[in-house]
Amino acid sequence: MTSNRTHTPRDCDEFQQQLPGLFDSEQDLLAHAHLQTCKNCSALVRDLEYIAAQAKLLLPIHDPSPAVWDNIQHALSREPKGGNKSS
Amino acid sequence: MTKSTLRTAEKMPSPTPSQPLTAEARPVHQQQRRNPPIAGELAAIALAQQGDGASFEILYNMHKRRVYSLCLRMLGNVAEAEDLTQEAFLQLHRKISTFRGDSAFSTWLHRMAVNVVLMHLRKKGLPLVSLEETLEPSQEDGPRKDFGTRDLTLSGSVDRVTLERAVEELPPGYRMVFVLHDVEGYEHNEIAGMLRCSIGNSKSQLHKARMRLRNLLRQPADGKVDA
Repeated sequence: MTSNRTHTPRDCDEFQQQLPGLFDSEQDLLAHAHLQTCKNCSALVRDLEYIAAQAKLLLPIHDPSPAVWDNIQHALSREPKGGNKSS
Repeated sequence: MTKSTLRTAEKMPSPTPSQPLTAEARPVHQQQRRNPPIAGELAAIALAQQGDGASFEILYNMHKRRVYSLCLRMLGNVAEAEDLTQEAFLQLHRKISTFRGDSAFSTWLHRMAVNVVLMHLRKKGLPLVSLEETLEPSQEDGPRKDFGTRDLTLSGSVDRVTLERAVEELPPGYRMVFVLHDVEGYEHNEIAGMLRCSIGNSKSQLHKARMRLRNLLRQPADGKVDA
């Protein structure tokens, strides 16, 4: 259980300055000593981890317009012969 | 597509095994998690390598959405994203005979698309990692002590559309690193190589991007609380 009683603002400063590096380490961030006593920083870490996890689920949702393929075909038809001969 | 554009594309770096910090350096299981094989893809690649136009069109239809989405997320502009999708597939057509299957085809193609976008931005003279975003202290940079006071966390509250919109609102430098790392799955050393910045810079930009996203995503929830 976390509380806000046993850490100082300076502890939060130091912890948050280390965060970019800590996120890229293999260690379990939520087990960090500072987070055992700091509710705010725990919430921050949970949110940032959640955002990173949600980002991995972002799917491609839009298709390019049909004009893109038309332009590709047109460009390929003007390319010198000798390479691939598609379209 | 003009001849000059085509010539430009020919000069762009290709994702070859000799190039350092390529996606191919990532473990195969990681590549397959992000880029699972597609049924019929191998046959289409083999035929397209022999110059079969219909097979190249099949490959286009298999990958156009993913490549376009990548371009759109990196650029935030539909017209530019379409132009560079076109450019990426023209590059693919030129280089497909060099694909050896050492990595997933989609990994190889997506790295090609990333290079197309980055080269485009460099030609426009835009810094890929903004000095302002890097050096100037901002709300995201400094420690904040009030973020938990409303006892709200994002967990479970953000749908994909909301996150997508928030990503669009990120400054270009933040958005670039966030898309490459968190969405596309590139490692910091790969991103540093692509953006020609330090690994520490990449980590810092990603952290600031996530912090900015957190603020953006919390705004609607905060509004409900305040209402």
